[in-house]
Amino acid sequence: MNRNTAEQALPNPGWGPLSGLPGNPLMWVLILSEIVVFAAFFAMFAWMRAEERAVFDASQLMLDPVMGGINTMVLLSSGLFAAFAVKDVIRGDVRQTRIWLGLALLLGLVFCGVKLVEYAAKIDAGLTPESNTFFAFYYLLTGFHFAHVIFGLILLGLVMWRTSRANVETVTAFWHMVDLIWIVLYPLLYLLR
Amino acid sequence: MNTRTLVLTWASLMLLTLVSMFSAQLGTDTRLQPLPLWSATLLLMVTGFKAWKVLSVYLGLSVAPSSWRGVFGGALCLMLALIAGGYLFAQLA
Repeated sequence: MNRNTAEQALPNPGWGPLSGLPGNPLMWVLILSEIVVFAAFFAMFAWMRAEERAVFDASQLMLDPVMGGINTMVLLSSGLFAAFAVKDVIRGDVRQTRIWLGLALLLGLVFCGVKLVEYAAKIDAGLTPESNTFFAFYYLLTGFHFAHVIFGLILLGLVMWRTSRANVETVTAFWHMVDLIWIVLYPLLYLLR
Repeated sequence: MNTRTLVLTWASLMLLTLVSMFSAQLGTDTRLQPLPLWSATLLLMVTGFKAWKVLSVYLGLSVAPSSWRGVFGGALCLMLALIAGGYLFAQLA
């Protein structure tokens, strides 16, 4: 097999080093950049925790790890429905694809609802980003993630309307990235002490 | 990716989330104490495994060339190493 033929066999021929990645290659660039950005935030969080350990430990006690765990499961289930949507759009079943996307969107809304309840409880208790360094990080990290969730929900809604294989694969990859970040964020903020 | 693989991955992610919560010892009294080292290690290993499952199965990285799997695996390990390093530093400080 010559080089051109070999490249044509890849998922994204013509994308150079990105040719071998599945789905939209630009989505992988975004995923890698998000991992790097969040890794920098996590490093800053860890550094500040070492500086103010007593404040961080006392503040973490005010979070609800069970609610955070439930939200993790909600987001993971939403990711499963999004994966089913990809499977069905490849089969050409647009109606079923839209149903799966709708379910993924619905669970995304549940995640947002739980998070808003959590934010409201914290603000009612006087815990704001200005309370201390831990809560500044808590609102920054979860707020940045929350913004990704909202953006993902808008994209899921748009893809339910404009359903094509490329659109569904790209938006679903974004949605899995949102899952991925939360998987690391949850233990860092709620569990590790 | 077939339905069975997707569902099994989802089930393992759900189970591992429960393992994370269990290993974090969320009892009223135990929450006041720092986690034992084994517990924090288990928590981070479970987190890394879950993140890798999402990358490889849901995002399809398992079919990508090994060089790309290495790049994303390395980025994930770096992220977890930063968290683990910061955690250990705080415990020792």
